[in-house]
Amino acid sequence: MIKLIEKIEGEAKLNFNFKDGKIDFVDVEFMSTRNIENILRGKRAFDALVINPRVCGICGHAHLIATVQALESCYDNLQLSNKAKAIRELTLNFELIQNHFKWFYLTMFPFFGHKQQILKATYPTQLMSKAIAVFGGQYPHTSYAVVGGVVCEITQMDIIKVENYISQTLKFVEENLVKIDSKTLLACKDADALLEFSGDLPDILREIKNTDMINHAKSYDRFIAFGENSFFKKGKSLKKKVSHSISLKDVKETEMPTSFAKNVSYKEKYYEVGPLARAMVNKTALIVDAHKKYGDSLYSRILARAYEITELLNYSKKLIKNLDLAEPSYIEPQLDISKLTSSGYSAVEAARGTLIHKVEIEKGIIKNYEIITPTQWNLSGGTREKLGVSQKAMVGLSDIKTAELVFKSFDVCSICTTH
Amino acid sequence: MSDKKKLKREQIIQCSLELFASRGFYSTTIPDIAKSLKMSVGNMYNYFKSKDILASEIIKYISIYLGEKLKEINEEDISTKEKTRKIVEMYFKTASLKPEMIDYFLRIYLSNREVFKDSCEGMLCVNEFVTEIMIYFEEGVKCGDLREQDFFSAFGLFMGYLGGMVFLKGENILPKDLNDYVEDITFNIYKALCAE
Amino acid sequence: MKTKMKILWLSAISCNGNTHSFLNYPYMEQFLDDFEFIYHPVIDSKYLLQDIVSKQIACDILLIEGAISKEYKRADVSIVEIIEKYSKIVQKIVTVGTCATFGGIFRESGYENASGLHFDQEKKLEDFKYLLDKTISLSGCPIHPEILANTLYAIKKSATLRLDNFLRPKEFYAYTVHNGCTRNEYFEYKVDNHKFGELEGCMYYEHGCQAPFTHGSCNKILWNEVSSKTRVGLPCMGCTEPSFPRQNLFSTKKNMSIPESLPVGVNKRVYLTLAGITKAFKIDRLEKKLFDD
Repeated sequence: MIKLIEKIEGEAKLNFNFKDGKIDFVDVEFMSTRNIENILRGKRAFDALVINPRVCGICGHAHLIATVQALESCYDNLQLSNKAKAIRELTLNFELIQNHFKWFYLTMFPFFGHKQQILKATYPTQLMSKAIAVFGGQYPHTSYAVVGGVVCEITQMDIIKVENYISQTLKFVEENLVKIDSKTLLACKDADALLEFSGDLPDILREIKNTDMINHAKSYDRFIAFGENSFFKKGKSLKKKVSHSISLKDVKETEMPTSFAKNVSYKEKYYEVGPLARAMVNKTALIVDAHKKYGDSLYSRILARAYEITELLNYSKKLIKNLDLAEPSYIEPQLDISKLTSSGYSAVEAARGTLIHKVEIEKGIIKNYEIITPTQWNLSGGTREKLGVSQKAMVGLSDIKTAELVFKSFDVCSICTTH
Repeated sequence: MSDKKKLKREQIIQCSLELFASRGFYSTTIPDIAKSLKMSVGNMYNYFKSKDILASEIIKYISIYLGEKLKEINEEDISTKEKTRKIVEMYFKTASLKPEMIDYFLRIYLSNREVFKDSCEGMLCVNEFVTEIMIYFEEGVKCGDLREQDFFSAFGLFMGYLGGMVFLKGENILPKDLNDYVEDITFNIYKALCAE
Repeated sequence: MKTKMKILWLSAISCNGNTHSFLNYPYMEQFLDDFEFIYHPVIDSKYLLQDIVSKQIACDILLIEGAISKEYKRADVSIVEIIEKYSKIVQKIVTVGTCATFGGIFRESGYENASGLHFDQEKKLEDFKYLLDKTISLSGCPIHPEILANTLYAIKKSATLRLDNFLRPKEFYAYTVHNGCTRNEYFEYKVDNHKFGELEGCMYYEHGCQAPFTHGSCNKILWNEVSSKTRVGLPCMGCTEPSFPRQNLFSTKKNMSIPESLPVGVNKRVYLTLAGITKAFKIDRLEKKLFDD
């Protein structure tokens, strides 16, 4: 049976095969592509900073950061101030947070007998967009991160504004998502203790726990995260064993015959990316506990993403506190890009997981550009013999509605996948 | 300003130019100019409050004069090479018919910057002239005739060359008439500036 | 219960940037009391995309986001067919964003003749000519949420909007992005030499800022109610214009040091004369750091 899954930043077609009343295979198909990589070829390297945020309306900022880092990796000895690095991390955090709110209240909520909570999605989202706009001028679609730093100079008043947006967002979390002091939440290491709290997240988690959904959506229990910054660590987690020595060289992208999306694997195996993967690699106590109790299930996946909101808000406060305003925002590269022939790559943690950009430039002109998006990792469609991560999570379910929930729990982005 | 007053003003400028050229800038005084025009010194000061002001008004006058000539050339629908020739021709023609004008520009304006420092910052007093040269360059590059480069490297080449020739002429070093050099100089300038 | 105006939000070849920009509209609660989406890419609606393409659902306004090509399909139906069907029944069509208006970035996506609804960059198209009277263009990459919301309110009120040659409401597009930029003084007095990462300096001469010849209200109706690209120090990329995206966006195209694109409607002679005059002076206040002691 074929079902069109809608409102995942576009659509995907899922072809469900049942055997004995249970799903035994799902074919995932994306119906279009937008050829961003072709659009970039032949253009000036810096123009990618303007074009790439337009890969995606909800995670375009991650594409900007990935672009600037890929271009910077083309240089030898490029200087970047700590201030610029921290500001880029901040704006990327804010994008992740706004995404998670939208996913939670617009995508997940309706699966649990509630109406979509549009205002609960837009209120904190707007606060985070404002915080990005203080640095980037606007959200979405700023290009404020340029090779050598960021274009903005930051004043004390900007810092105060951003701190207030963060505090207000934290307040929203404490009054809605998990109704406790965020310090208590961050100190919580017991996934079951969380269920004692009230709030929209515990409500959903309780519902999952009290039904057989708790056993749903388990996949390979293989996680990977390449995007490294002062908060996220790079590494993979295999059956709870974390290793930090992974190389992008082992990442392979292959064409799929039936879909416009391409498969992505690490050492020929499919891995899950996203907040759950990051938390496993980062050994975030609460999430590791959830994983210990409930495995790589729907429960852990939803908890990890929602919990990341509080973690990132809290960490962003620290980043701001440590900003040294006396440092330069931008350090002009020694070499003009038009004289540069080189190649480079980057990996950043976008809302949905590891995002990889690779670029080749010849005298400042883009010769080749490749983008691997998080959804490609999670939704790589395998064969019956070698299922993709989301495919495996859906196998064994008995109804399509639950399968759609599981599919969407990966926070699918069709737009990114079909860049 | 009334037409009569405007005419008088121009007469003063023309007379000053001639006196500066023949007697030298520093040795010519406001009373000298008044005397030569049969004006009272008091009346003279109604037009120009000081010699320094007169000096900068003269350079503006020349800039407007040359700017207008250049504008006519710029507005013609001809190739950049043709424009180049016409500019060279116009400049030399002015140097022959109104030698005191170019003389003033080269020997007084460019050589006595202290006189002009208060009222002629940068290229303020030669704005009209420079604007037209800019337009000539800009349009030349835009239509593909001229090579893209920094404005001053092109400006220096063009004006330095023309000024140098007029200077040589003024020193009576040039064996031939300025007009006889138009073709070669146009060729040289265009060759130096053109796209290929 | 009052009747809500019904809107179909139809995405063509897009990034959903306008969708997400719209979610930043501050008065969403009120908006959703006044309007109903029969379909929206993110907000839940009464109908599925499959209903929209297979039936004809009652609708007042058609919003199109993204570049249009008959090759591009939604739920297996050509976007052109969907537009044709709904354009007949709606009062107004709004092209949301630069892709739907002029083709924008996804004009280059490789789909056959991808373009805006009525324009392929500056070129007027024949295809939907009969809809010209119904259409309002809201260009911008992305659209500013207030511009979209208030245009929809104007339609609801049947207010007459004066439109420019590209069918854009003059109230938003008669201004240039330069209007209201906090760096205006630096432009006026030609203090360029702007290095990124500074509060001071104008990006027009060195860094390709297109604000003086880009129509839009970015510095009048601030982004996210907070700032704008040029205010923080990022050049305007000209994203509301048919030519978006130009090439070499971070540097100014100059011919012998003279910018090729001048402030809109300003004659070259006038511009160069004024620039020449201001450049002759050095204004200490503007040359110094803004917060210097």
